[in-house]
Amino acid sequence: MTRQIITCLVAVMMFSATANAGDTPAPKNAYLYIGWPNDGEVIRAGHPFRVWFGLRHMGVAPKGVDRPATGHHHLLIDTPLPPLDEEIPSDRNHIHFGAGQTETMLELPPGKHTLQLLMGDHDHKPHNPPVYSKQITITVVE
Amino acid sequence: MTGRVGKMLMRVIAVVAMVNIIGVTSVWAERTPAPTNTRLYIIWPPDGAVIKGGKLWVRMGLRNAGVAPKGIEMANVGHHHLLIDTDLPPLDQEIPSDRNHIHFGGGQTEARLEDLSPGQHTLQLLLGDDNHVPHDPPIYSKKITITVPPY
Repeated sequence: MTRQIITCLVAVMMFSATANAGDTPAPKNAYLYIGWPNDGEVIRAGHPFRVWFGLRHMGVAPKGVDRPATGHHHLLIDTPLPPLDEEIPSDRNHIHFGAGQTETMLELPPGKHTLQLLMGDHDHKPHNPPVYSKQITITVVE
Repeated sequence: MTGRVGKMLMRVIAVVAMVNIIGVTSVWAERTPAPTNTRLYIIWPPDGAVIKGGKLWVRMGLRNAGVAPKGIEMANVGHHHLLIDTDLPPLDQEIPSDRNHIHFGGGQTEARLEDLSPGQHTLQLLLGDDNHVPHDPPIYSKKITITVPPY
């Protein structure tokens, strides 16, 4: 049985390696955007700010929940999009919201920062086609 | 097969989490315990907004809890219900499903309204658990009033 599962996993991995997106279909008109802050927003250092995640024509589900037309949010900070056919990295530049959160508080050091949202499916992989927001730039000032 | 194992595992995790939160004695109570410090609110429109044409996106805001589609039994999650021109329903029962109580069982966080007639309308959010029943204590937003001017 374990061997069957491993064979199955290997097959899935081989299949996804040849694609340029994940295996979970995304709704055609899904629209992901950062509701706040706005592109170009200037934020004072030392004041945590709220980022809210906007999503239309698609739903939110915690990680591990396999339901059509759903996913969970990932916030990319100061990084371009990761490879879109692999599990989204989980580190300080790629924040996962696997509990189904739809907003978060953030505090960043002074300077310019980029923010972008990317939906992940139940396996933390982007959808097909991938659903991501515009990348915005904000400035944190002393 | 992996799906079934995963589902079982998730159920176990959910039950363990519930036991941690509410203690063993009340695990089988019908209403789902509410996460702490949760705030449900309407991000947009603001209270008192004037909406020309009666068409709008309502943006649903939730803090310190997560969104999950209907039927997903996990700790600290729920799904949105938008109450239009109605008061809160009984809070210990399944939330009605009609044109005044719109369910977002797909885990949606925004709602498109297209047919609001001219006049005043109220909007309020109420979170439902996996069975569409409000949490204990219930999680609902402030009720706001918007106005659609004559076409």
